Amino acid sequence: MNTQRILVVDDEPGVTRSLKINLESAGIFEVTIENRAVNALKTARRIRPDLILLDVMMPELDGGEVASRMEADPLLRDTPIIFLTAIVSNEETEGHEVTKGEHTFIAKPMDIGELKKSITDHIRR
Amino acid sequence: MAFRQLNYCCDMKTLSIDNADGQGPKASLNLFKGKSLAWFNHLSRLSIQGISFGMALLVGVLDYLTGLDVSVAFLYLAPIGLGTWFAGRRTGLLLACATALFWLVADILTRASIHQLVVPIWNTLALALVFGTMAYLLAAIKGQNERLEQAVLRRTESLRAEIAERIHTEKQLRETNATLIATRADLQKSFRELEQAHEELRSTQSQLIEAAKMETVGRLAAGVAHEVKNPLMTLSLGADYFLNRETGNANEAAMLADMKEAVRRASNIINILLDYARPRPLQRVPVNLNRLIEDSLTLVRQQLNKGRVTVRCELQEQLPAVLLDRSRIEHVLINLLINAQQAMPKGGTLTVRTSSTSPAKHGDVTGFVSVEIEDTGHGIEPEHLKKVFEPFFTTKPTGQGTGLGLSIVRKIMETHGGSITLNNREEGGVRAVLKFNLEEKGTA
Repeated sequence: MNTQRILVVDDEPGVTRSLKINLESAGIFEVTIENRAVNALKTARRIRPDLILLDVMMPELDGGEVASRMEADPLLRDTPIIFLTAIVSNEETEGHEVTKGEHTFIAKPMDIGELKKSITDHIRR
Repeated sequence: MAFRQLNYCCDMKTLSIDNADGQGPKASLNLFKGKSLAWFNHLSRLSIQGISFGMALLVGVLDYLTGLDVSVAFLYLAPIGLGTWFAGRRTGLLLACATALFWLVADILTRASIHQLVVPIWNTLALALVFGTMAYLLAAIKGQNERLEQAVLRRTESLRAEIAERIHTEKQLRETNATLIATRADLQKSFRELEQAHEELRSTQSQLIEAAKMETVGRLAAGVAHEVKNPLMTLSLGADYFLNRETGNANEAAMLADMKEAVRRASNIINILLDYARPRPLQRVPVNLNRLIEDSLTLVRQQLNKGRVTVRCELQEQLPAVLLDRSRIEHVLINLLINAQQAMPKGGTLTVRTSSTSPAKHGDVTGFVSVEIEDTGHGIEPEHLKKVFEPFFTTKPTGQGTGLGLSIVRKIMETHGGSITLNNREEGGVRAVLKFNLEEKGTA
């Protein structure tokens, strides 16, 4: 089974490290970490991920702006993005994820099992 | 038209007709004016004088023919009275003298010898004196009568003018009163509008202050959520990692599960805070509240059964549909149902009742739908009743309540334009009443 390349973009090193360890422990994901939003585009162009986990609130550049730049890039245009956000309330997330427009949001802190399932589902699409 | 009075003035100058409603003379006719009147008076006086003297002469002839009959003597009074009354005092005195003269002539002609003239002369003088006195008195009475009549006329005119003036004043007063009443009504209307505007202004001001506060709280909540949830996520992912290792150590697994639960609770409190601070817009659809209550009861049924709570539903049939955000009102109902269950730790009866009223339409509101949720629990301490809707106020043990539940419930009801009241029941327990405005007619 081929491993899926995942790019995790979050300014919290503890979060990115925990995600990397958890996701890679399953043996099906290869995770690259990027803690600076301004470098996210360059890193993504370099590794060509199958999916990007993108934090919404970050210093320097927020997740929305990063996503816009990726969608404008022909190499990354079709790469699925799952947003990770702390500012999603109970009312907004009836399940473990919420879709706003074309984007999927997962509320922090999430269950790792549900996150894996979401990643797999999005890559299959 | 009915005429109240037809006046013919004694001076024969005017003829006037008064209206029945007392509004003064409606028609007036001057019969005589200026020289015409003087000539008329003069001719009248001459006629009266002529007639009177003629009458006196006739009485004298009659006196002679009857041989000085006493009854005829009284007839002399008629021309004297007529002349005095209608032609004046002077004419009366002249008539008295003339009558006495006619008497004398008649007496002389009756008596044959000249020596017998002494008695009739004496009688004549006495008679002239009597008639003259009578004419004088009659003229005086007439003068007095005329003066009285003039006084009465003047007084009548004065009263008539006064009545007309009063009627005019009364009419003016009525008009002024009507104007004042209209002005008062306008002022009252303006006052009510001003009060309403003031109330709306206060309401808007309160809403603005509330919005500003909520914006601040929202920003604070977003910051708190970001700063707290990231560490929580690290903890959660760490716990997930160790749980997935499946070491077989039961204590480790239990501790990790407790860590996950602690993270979940902390995260939930942050979420509630976010819900409170940043409510999303309402998605209103027509909802049958009876069905929503049944669905909500289904969701909490297990917890109610576990708490030995008996549920009694008294739901009104044909309840009008209400425009509301289904998930939010479901949140309200579940919150109240769970509160009721927790207020009855030894079990009890939970009653849910729905009803509708349709008072006179006021604005867009055509009536109300009420939902009552009653428990048979311990009730709320009176000093706590005013605080139960305040954020972060709770009487539950630490860790079992955030103190935001009822605060959020009230906020949700207010965003729907409805209300919630919470009171202790006389029989014990609490009654929560939700009131929804009906803005469109229809039954579910």
